[in-house]
Amino acid sequence: MSVSDPAAHLREELRALERAYTIGHHGLGVAGRRAGLVDACLVELFERAGSPAGVAILAIGGYGRMVQLPASDIDLLVVHDDDASIGATVDALLYPLWDAAFAVGHAVRTPEECLAAIERFDAWTAMLDGRLVVGDETLADRALAPVRARAREDPAGFARRLRDAADARRARFGSTAHLLEPDLKEGSGGLRDVASLGWLAAAFGTDLESAGLVRARERAAVDAGAGFLVRTRSAVQLLTGRRADRLVSELQPDVAREMGFVDEPNLLATDGLMRSLFEHARNVEHVVGLALARATAGTTGDPVVIADAGAILEALADAAEGGEVPSVGLLDAIEDVTVPQRVGWDARTRAAFLRLLRSGGSGSGMFDVLDRVGLLERFIPAWTGVRCRPQRDPYHRSTVDAHLVAAAAGMAELLAGSGDADDPIELSAVAQVERPDALLLGALLHDVGKIGTGGHVPIGTAIARDTLDAMGVAGPERDLAVFLVEEHLLLPDTATRRDLSDEDLLLDVAARIGTPERLGALYLLAKADAFATGPAAWTPWRETLVRELVAKVQRVFDRGEMGEELAARLAERTERLRQLLDGEPDEQIHRFILRVPRSYLLAVDPGRAAQHFRIVMPPLGRNEVRTAASAGSRAGSYEVVVVASDRPGLLSWIAGALAIGGISILAAQAFTTEDRTAIDVFEVEGAFEPEITEARWRAFRNTLRRTIEGSISLEHRVREKGRHYPRPRMPSPVTIRVLNDVSEFSTVIEVGASDRIGLLHDITRTFADLHLGVHLAKVATFDGRVVDAFYVRDELGRKVTEHSLLSGVESALRERLEP
Amino acid sequence: MKLVTAIVKPHRIDDVKDALREIGVSGLTTTDVEGFGRQRGHTEVYRGAEYQVDFVPKVKVEIVVDDGDVDGVVDAIVKAARTGKIGDGKLWVGEVERVMRIRTGEMGPDALSG
Repeated sequence: MSVSDPAAHLREELRALERAYTIGHHGLGVAGRRAGLVDACLVELFERAGSPAGVAILAIGGYGRMVQLPASDIDLLVVHDDDASIGATVDALLYPLWDAAFAVGHAVRTPEECLAAIERFDAWTAMLDGRLVVGDETLADRALAPVRARAREDPAGFARRLRDAADARRARFGSTAHLLEPDLKEGSGGLRDVASLGWLAAAFGTDLESAGLVRARERAAVDAGAGFLVRTRSAVQLLTGRRADRLVSELQPDVAREMGFVDEPNLLATDGLMRSLFEHARNVEHVVGLALARATAGTTGDPVVIADAGAILEALADAAEGGEVPSVGLLDAIEDVTVPQRVGWDARTRAAFLRLLRSGGSGSGMFDVLDRVGLLERFIPAWTGVRCRPQRDPYHRSTVDAHLVAAAAGMAELLAGSGDADDPIELSAVAQVERPDALLLGALLHDVGKIGTGGHVPIGTAIARDTLDAMGVAGPERDLAVFLVEEHLLLPDTATRRDLSDEDLLLDVAARIGTPERLGALYLLAKADAFATGPAAWTPWRETLVRELVAKVQRVFDRGEMGEELAARLAERTERLRQLLDGEPDEQIHRFILRVPRSYLLAVDPGRAAQHFRIVMPPLGRNEVRTAASAGSRAGSYEVVVVASDRPGLLSWIAGALAIGGISILAAQAFTTEDRTAIDVFEVEGAFEPEITEARWRAFRNTLRRTIEGSISLEHRVREKGRHYPRPRMPSPVTIRVLNDVSEFSTVIEVGASDRIGLLHDITRTFADLHLGVHLAKVATFDGRVVDAFYVRDELGRKVTEHSLLSGVESALRERLEP
Repeated sequence: MKLVTAIVKPHRIDDVKDALREIGVSGLTTTDVEGFGRQRGHTEVYRGAEYQVDFVPKVKVEIVVDDGDVDGVVDAIVKAARTGKIGDGKLWVGEVERVMRIRTGEMGPDALSG
């Protein structure tokens, strides 16, 4: 070859090579040709330098293995015999390459220095890949032979160093086998692992099959993996034009297209690429791990014999519980068991599987083993849908299956009490767990519905149910596990997206959850899920919100405001109401049910509520008052519902207007909707004239409307009305209790007093004067004595916490009510 | 140009986003933040165990807008973020000296539009 500038010529040839293949097809063959072109250039440059004697030019590292990638450095080792003029030779080689903008990694050493350089393990392994490109063959041999011999002195020791290096890489770069943005070179299961097998072979001085370290099937899997990884990494480098090793998300669609992946049903092209990559990397990771384990084990001990699928799980569970890694003998024995395509579950298999789950981190290592030898899918057929499946989500870092195994391991650690000692919710939740296995199974299956189609929660719930049935998990255990899968997003989604000061929201969440045990289980799952997702999923920000929600829902249970029975009653009443409203537009029914407080749905008979629907739903004018009356619960009584826009003092005006109209209140329940419409339901009777005609209702409405408009003042009239009637002769004492721990959002004020005309007006007027709004009221009369409970809030809608105001309420009420 | 910064309740952020989109704001930045205002930190109680919550979780919204759009943007945020209850947050507007679209090098209002 004679060209004016060999390096520039190399550049042209490499460009031609790039053009000859599409970006996605630069595999091992092309990498080899690329290395060949570099060789030719170096030969030419060496000759132009006068082919100096006593110098050998060696290719090392990937280039030495004839795997030269598009943007990789050209790694050279110049060996010389302590030649004083070596500097000039090196310049003659390197300057042309540098001028043509090649990145060259180079070392200049004597043979003795080569041997000394093996102190650095990466320099050692790079030289194990060394081959002579041009120059003094004897010198090259003098340099490389001792380096190889040193590795052969103690192959097992060398294998241990390879294993340590692999562990360090895994810790630093993670795994190419499940990370969503994997490092194709340094990650566990990446190209460096593939190269490790070559170094291992160098240490054993023979091919690994002959050494009994790798089986033929395993070799084939690694070769296929190497080809795929090289194609992928080359595509990344060609697309970015840089020496890039990480397959970041932005690049994945382009790489997938270039490598010929197309969208398939339930699997986007990008996901197809990633799934193939993960499968190959898992094979590489597994075989390399196995080969290194076999190489370091020395003797494999007594041969392990495993009879069937259940025994595999038992053996792995034993190892996991002992905190051991599976022995080579065990792994080999597992590979030799004939396992049916679908394993039938029995008590023994189930027990061993649960032992694996309970073993946490060491158990999850065993799940990896089962996965790598293709057995996990035989135990859990649904696993196929999530295996190696990437997920598109800014928080997730791993494939769905790796995430599930990590979440189950995290749950095991939480249950073992190795979590956060400063998290009282976690501690309490762990303490009340009655069915730990259900929590582990829930964690293992929570995302099993992520199969590339539809909403993963309903799909996952159905899959989890089938899977647990097939496993023979039954009864409350199964129900709790299915519940966890179905509701695993409830806490984090509600906490971060909904208003936690909405009482009905808390009641709804409590109704969906049902029991404190389930609430605690969901909290533990939220935590295990987040920790398995990635560092951004459980920030103090999220934690504070989720804890706030859990604490509030727990207090709902503690106060008995919601529970399994109430939830069932609420569901039953809501359903009944829907039936009664049949014929009304669905959207209106739905809105009505969402608008009214849960306390309303629980307290008001569905038949009554269906009647209320008609006067609550039409848009309400600012000063409008609506009433609807029907027969009450006893002879001569009426039930009247009053609907108006809520405002401070409204309840006192209604009570006052009723008093003025000669209508006695027997019982009352006052509700406020989220959009501040008051729905106040009264059981009344005529104080003097038993019959309450429509004309009297009209008069009541008028009085109330004019009061709301501000055209009349009720205060004086109610007092006047009361003056004409004697006070009760034997007045029972006024009792007042101010309670701040009964409700999450309201201060509850209980008032007992002898009944009299205008009493409810007086009580509620007092609240209005103190700028307290009545959010909910329950009023009842027994034998001439009134027992009332008012849920009041301050002007900003908060529970009243100010001491002076709390004591002021009591004294103001006494002043007003005591004769 | 002005930088509008708002601290809002987490559950209002979708409404704020929708309201801004409706008036044609095409880009904004949000950050999960924690802090306290008049509410201060508080003690939460869970089944008898007390734990301290020092900071209240909020979402910070930042938008750079042309001077003429400030009032509309402020209005939209305030309306969407207001619940009337304590802890609805804060909003402030500050001067912005320079804006550049990194890709094209466009400066000033050109860098904001589209």
